[in-house]
Amino acid sequence: MKGARALPMHGVLTLGSAIFLVPFYVMLVMSLKSPEEIAKTNMLSWPQAITWDNYREVLTNPGVVFSLLLKNTVLISALSMVGTLISSVMVAYAFARLKFPGRDRLFLILLSTMMLPGIVTMIPTYVLFAKLHWVNTFLPLVVPAFLGSAYNIFLLRQFFLGLPRELDEAALLDGASHWAILSRVIVPLSGPALTTVGVFTFIGAWRDFMGPLLYLNDPERQTLEVGLRLYKTMNEEQWHLLMAASVMVTLPLIVLFLVGQKAFVRGIVMTGGK
Amino acid sequence: MARWIGVLVFFAIAAMAGATKTLRLACWEGAEALKSVQDAAAEFERAHPGVRVKIEAVPFGNYHEKLLAQYAAGVAPDVSLMNPENFQRYSQRGVIYSLNSFMERDSEFHLKDYYEPIVKAHSVGGQLYVLPRDIAPIGLIYINKKAFAEAGLSLPDGSWTWDFQPRPELREKCFTWVMQQLTQRAPDGKTTRYGFTPAWPGAFIDLLVYSQGARYADSVENPTKARFDDPRIIQAYAFFQDLSLKQKVIPSPSALSTELMVSPIDLFLQGKVAMAQSGIWEVPNIRKRHPTTSKDWFDWDIVLAPAFRDGTRAMPTGGSGYCIFKSTPYPEDAWKLVKWMAGAPAMQKLAAAGLAQPAIRALAVKPPWIPDASTPREEQFPKNRIITDTAVPSVVFEPTSSAWPEVKAYATQAIDQVLLGTLPAEKGMKDAQKRAQDRLDVILKQEDLKPFPWAMAGLLGLVVLIGVGAWVFAPERGRKLTAREKAEARAAFGFLTPWLFGLIALTLGPMVFSFMMSFSDWDIIQPARWRGAQNYQEAFSGDPRFWVSLKVTAIYTAVAVPLGLLVSLALALLLNVKVKGMPLYRTFFYIPALASGVASALIWRGVFKADGGLLNTIIYGSDGRGDFLGLASALAPLGQAGDPINWLGNEKTALASLILMSLWGAGGGMVVLLAGLQGIPQHYYEASTIDGAGIWGRFRHVTIPMLGPALMFSLITGLIGSFQVFTNAFIMTAGGPGESTMFYMLHLYNNAFVGLRMGYASALAWILFILILGLTVAQLRLNRMVYYEGDLR
Repeated sequence: MKGARALPMHGVLTLGSAIFLVPFYVMLVMSLKSPEEIAKTNMLSWPQAITWDNYREVLTNPGVVFSLLLKNTVLISALSMVGTLISSVMVAYAFARLKFPGRDRLFLILLSTMMLPGIVTMIPTYVLFAKLHWVNTFLPLVVPAFLGSAYNIFLLRQFFLGLPRELDEAALLDGASHWAILSRVIVPLSGPALTTVGVFTFIGAWRDFMGPLLYLNDPERQTLEVGLRLYKTMNEEQWHLLMAASVMVTLPLIVLFLVGQKAFVRGIVMTGGK
Repeated sequence: MARWIGVLVFFAIAAMAGATKTLRLACWEGAEALKSVQDAAAEFERAHPGVRVKIEAVPFGNYHEKLLAQYAAGVAPDVSLMNPENFQRYSQRGVIYSLNSFMERDSEFHLKDYYEPIVKAHSVGGQLYVLPRDIAPIGLIYINKKAFAEAGLSLPDGSWTWDFQPRPELREKCFTWVMQQLTQRAPDGKTTRYGFTPAWPGAFIDLLVYSQGARYADSVENPTKARFDDPRIIQAYAFFQDLSLKQKVIPSPSALSTELMVSPIDLFLQGKVAMAQSGIWEVPNIRKRHPTTSKDWFDWDIVLAPAFRDGTRAMPTGGSGYCIFKSTPYPEDAWKLVKWMAGAPAMQKLAAAGLAQPAIRALAVKPPWIPDASTPREEQFPKNRIITDTAVPSVVFEPTSSAWPEVKAYATQAIDQVLLGTLPAEKGMKDAQKRAQDRLDVILKQEDLKPFPWAMAGLLGLVVLIGVGAWVFAPERGRKLTAREKAEARAAFGFLTPWLFGLIALTLGPMVFSFMMSFSDWDIIQPARWRGAQNYQEAFSGDPRFWVSLKVTAIYTAVAVPLGLLVSLALALLLNVKVKGMPLYRTFFYIPALASGVASALIWRGVFKADGGLLNTIIYGSDGRGDFLGLASALAPLGQAGDPINWLGNEKTALASLILMSLWGAGGGMVVLLAGLQGIPQHYYEASTIDGAGIWGRFRHVTIPMLGPALMFSLITGLIGSFQVFTNAFIMTAGGPGESTMFYMLHLYNNAFVGLRMGYASALAWILFILILGLTVAQLRLNRMVYYEGDLR
């Protein structure tokens, strides 16, 4: 869309963006205000005097060491993303493309693992990991990613089902193994879905709260999301610091999402007779 | 990565060396207090070579979940911060030490140094379970001296009293009269400055109740009878209603909420309220938000809260201390640590930072807690700090029994309505009493139950698993597979391996365990007991909240899921257009889905706030008299006469507000649908255009069918997700007002972690499971009508 036709579209997009961006705008603006200004002015107002003190304080707090938390969070998120991509692609392919006994009922079981509230499995799972001596390590947070995630398997399976079978069949006729079909046919066509899964998983692991809360004890091993909550305590709410910390925790994700869109392009364009 | 391995190696060596003992101390300190705690711990290490202390800071909101899980798994910390509200959960079940034997054997230790009330509050039957570290009387009135001067009143000295009617002849000695004198109104009657506000309504009401000599229950340690319908309590609530809703001397609850961004103390700092009641913990924040250098600075101080007309002074209070878990391998060292951290060394540090009043009296009456001439100017305020000590003999603790939080939560439903004015005080409190007493009776009923039959249950669990396995593979057992089919099946199971392994090793075990627990009575700490099908019975016929929460969740799902899907679809279509800067736009729409829960909850409260919130500013204008798009008139029947709608505080609008909030997260669903749209091969559109289809035709015949799988995904996961919605209600409304946002998951959570009834919670979870499963199967059947491009069928 170019030129004059693009203008109303830009208008709509800008208006919509503004509406959706309000919460983040408030977060940003509050992070740049002094506590005095936050207490005395409207939430939405632009700061009368922009101050970077909040950021400075969060970054230099010896009780909540931001750089350490960042490192831990990056590690856990990256590993979770890699693990989920590998395992979920494999399992989704089986459910989408292969025929085997019990397939449909196993799929139902896959879905049903999402239906039981985590609260009641939290403690037995915790006990399980404690018996393995995995508590206070990153293992309980990362290893399950390599064993497939129901949500992502479901997502990829749906996406794979939408891909035409002609290419599969052509490859099969050429004698390709299932693994080859997966890696050379399906995956290249699944750019958008794979990017979605990758980005979602990274973001989910980055923002995960209950997992690190439960399984990580040492302050040096904690993640950003848990560290963030320490700015909201029983009696005091240090909004200015909480907002600055929140902005810093959210910013990498925004960048990731922006960058991830390059991979979010359409799959190979199919023409009729290929 | 290398650093992490290095840390691990270090610990391994240290462990092997064996000389160092490590004590783990868990606490809920915020980022600021943490520094002081860590400093104190470092000092302890220096004074006690051979002992290392690890401070594990856990956010306050989830503190006990983690502690309970740790205890269940046998990895509880050695020492934990604890408070009167919660310690009995652990002491009752024999999980923490009674400190009496430690104290008796320790000749250097003198318990009488500590304030008696906080010691008593942490004891049961003469046994002290928690060594107090700080006490926090909530009977301090922050006064704006300028406001007093403007009203021509002399400053109070704490000898004032309160009464239900103002006594003008007593002038400044009558708190009620002072409140009214300090209230300023505009010509139209609207209050421009309130005379007084408590930090939260309960703070003031507790004061009114306690100073009349009334109490909420018949005992602090072990209540059996709630007393919410005590006439004095009813009168206190009626008085509060009058002050906040009729006289408007106190801001109404719609303008006041405990976790609101503009906290009542902020109102005080803005000069919108002349007096505020709270604890001393507000001071560090006041110093930051209201420095003496600020251009609208006014002189302020604290004054002791008024006594009742007969001279009885009483007030609510907070406080905390440290306890020792019986699972610690080093009880003697743990005692030394507790003595340190709940003793002079750590107390002085916290006092110097102005963060906590020491529980040792000698320390609370001198610097650094009490400012003197050498204290820097900023920290000189409040000058009257000594009243934190004067207040202590008047403090009253709420019942400390482990049943009380739950009982109070049930009473709160009715109490909230009294505070909002939707119920008259007498009726409301009688209702609160009934709910509270009913719940207390249920909790106290000691059921004689047998221990859980693990062997039999385990066997049953195995049978169920085998049954499920059979169900999965049964239909195709008879059929003979061709060689090719066998090869394909083998390949398939190869691909499935990661998931199958995870399923068996990590997922099924806990699921089956929770299923077994749904037939038990289990409080996480003690061994489970057999309850048979009684949990399920109780849910269906003995728990009205079960049906209420199911209804709330069903309504939420029925509205939020389709709406969310529509919005996500609309966004996906909008953001699929080829326009410059599209990645940026997409990011903008997605950002709310990224925002952290805590920060965004705060922001949303600011949006929904009745007085000056974003939404109401749009609808009602900044003077409160506008009528944007006629919405104000349209909404009028829902609210109270003339007042802007209190979105989250009004029973009729709270759920709708949460639904509105959920739509902001539509960015998440949008991404999935966008991926789906991107995956539609171009040639279908081209073919369709060649066939003469217009935009709508292409949409109907290409887009929607091709999006089928993605739409189905969104619908199913949306449903599964919305039935388990929890976080926002937990943070923002706690199920209120009334029970209008009591989501099923919230009810489940309360049973699990507040009531410590994990067995019942498991039953609730499995009921939900069956419900969601049924709905999903129905959707999948519907699915058969959806066109799949590459489906196997």
